[in-house]
Amino acid sequence: MMAQAKPSETFVEVRDLKRVFDVSRPWLNRVIERQPKAFLKAVDGLSFDIRRGETFALVGESGSGKSTVARMAVGLLPVTSGSVLIDGVSMTAVKDSQTRQQLRKRIQMIFQDPYASLNPRWRVERIIAEPIHAFGLLKGEQVAARVGELLTLVGLHPDDGRKYPHEFSGGQRQRIAIARALASSAEFIVCDEPTSALDVSVQAQILNLMRDLQKEFGLTYLFISHNLAVVRHMADRIGVMYLGRLVEISEGKKLFSAPRHPYTRMLLDAVPDLGMTGRQRQMVAGEIPNPINPPSGCTFHPRCPLANERCKREAPAMIDGVACHAAEEGRMP
Amino acid sequence: MTEPVISVRDLRVEFVTRKGILRAINGVSFDIMPGEVLGVVGESGAGKSVTGSAIIGLIEPPGRIAGGEIRLHGQRIDNLDPESLRRIRGRKIAMIFQDPLTSLNPLYRVGEQLVETILTHTDLSPSAARARAIDLLNEVGIPAPERRIDGYPHEFSGGMRQRVVIALALCAEPDFIVADEPTTALDVSVQAQIIALIRKLCRERGTAVMLVTHDMGVIAETADRVAVMYAGRVAEIGPVRDVVKHPLHPYAKGLMGAIPTLEAEAERLVQIPGSMPRLSNIPQGCAFNPRCDRVFDRCHVERPDPDIPRFGLEGEAPLMPGHRVACHLYTRKTVETAS
Repeated sequence: MMAQAKPSETFVEVRDLKRVFDVSRPWLNRVIERQPKAFLKAVDGLSFDIRRGETFALVGESGSGKSTVARMAVGLLPVTSGSVLIDGVSMTAVKDSQTRQQLRKRIQMIFQDPYASLNPRWRVERIIAEPIHAFGLLKGEQVAARVGELLTLVGLHPDDGRKYPHEFSGGQRQRIAIARALASSAEFIVCDEPTSALDVSVQAQILNLMRDLQKEFGLTYLFISHNLAVVRHMADRIGVMYLGRLVEISEGKKLFSAPRHPYTRMLLDAVPDLGMTGRQRQMVAGEIPNPINPPSGCTFHPRCPLANERCKREAPAMIDGVACHAAEEGRMP
Repeated sequence: MTEPVISVRDLRVEFVTRKGILRAINGVSFDIMPGEVLGVVGESGAGKSVTGSAIIGLIEPPGRIAGGEIRLHGQRIDNLDPESLRRIRGRKIAMIFQDPLTSLNPLYRVGEQLVETILTHTDLSPSAARARAIDLLNEVGIPAPERRIDGYPHEFSGGMRQRVVIALALCAEPDFIVADEPTTALDVSVQAQIIALIRKLCRERGTAVMLVTHDMGVIAETADRVAVMYAGRVAEIGPVRDVVKHPLHPYAKGLMGAIPTLEAEAERLVQIPGSMPRLSNIPQGCAFNPRCDRVFDRCHVERPDPDIPRFGLEGEAPLMPGHRVACHLYTRKTVETAS
């Protein structure tokens, strides 16, 4: 069992994280068509902390860079610049393989599509045991016992380990993915849209399971989702992303009761919700711009009702949890 | 009382497979009035999309309509020959699919696709058809339609593509549109725009819409009435406000409680144990009985049909007209031990 979580302790520190993708056309095309190289800033200077035992959620529309952050946080994608410190250790800076191995063991990821994230040719027991073998945690019969224990933990039967992934439904597969994430006794789990491929009743089961496990083991979650209602249900703190930047960081419920950034307000206005039958909504204008050629200054200014000259010129800094000139100048209605 | 645009009675759709006959739809009935949006919700495998495909005549072998009637303005359309059906489809009934990228041909300009559809269904001249296509694009909210009409689908964003698909569906001014998950592939801010567009079209043109989606939020906001489907049957149908706020069927109750909302304070979401049965293995009696917490003897033997609830449960809100539920709890001959 993990030590009881001390709520104030910072566990994950993300500092000025950047990721640039080269999306240029092939060399020959560039030469013939006289085009410069093109770069896409998927994540552009992101900083946030996650405290031990809490759920930090990132929300945003497609193309906002949520999943890129998730992949960098677990080390699946190298960072362009900036750092991710987990319990004070930077994954990118560590050269010593032993230390890196130690760190990796403590981080796991749950992916969006449980049909793609489980090897269809492996039995479930082998899938779940993979982290145990990879880190050399247990040997022989202990492995089977541990796999059985993990399966029970996520609400499956130990005998299910003999089956193949195709014999399970989407929700059950996501349970298997969770069991695999827990196999190395990970403390920090990055969940990239863990329930968006699932039906609502199954989604409820998985979300409840994730909460139960968090309480039991003091897990820290980085929870990525585009579904604001799910995020509201799960997260202690929420970061709202727009075109690779954080526009607002807020304590969970506060984001919904008192949103401060115009983009957050717009998103909240747009979400269809059960409690809003027959409501007349404020129409939202425009769409997320092309990230290869983002607008100048504050990237939200073309869609923002409060934009002025300064917003077009100057990118706002994150001040007291919100990156917006209008909020800073007290122009927010 | 106006006549319904579409009227479905006891529809059955089967798929013949090597392992036997699978009943995807087993006795579904509903009406949709002019200008009305009927939301159809349910989880994957409930038969939502198959119902939509059956109405528009797109059930392909090995699937077949095994029974029941589909009437458009009182005329049966489920037994028409392919040629007569083709004349109705597109002109009287149109469909909006989930993925706008697959319902547009990537090799033709948007305008060509619109004009082709308009020419097929109306007597307009090519130049009038083009003018009409521009009008349609304008109506669905595409900026600078005179210029955009000559663009290819890949030049449009997801939301704009879905608008083009809606324009395509409107070409022949159909009386009835089946919209199968029209906003699922879109971001929330764009989704809101598309929902508003569909509602506006319904109000202004009096088009009836069957909106198939798994997103209760979309239904709550768009639909006038909602049908909750489970394992190929309608579990509950009624005015959207009643069904969302006061669901009666134990499955509908569970479903509403399972959805995290932006308002409710819930530490845990309501959890329905188990999952939807496979079509090859639908339980005897009420299909929901293995997962139901209020199950009693009758549920195991007799399959309930949607009916006016005669008995309320304790603390239930007053029953609304038009609200029907397929559950023995509400049609008990004698009120059983109310505990």
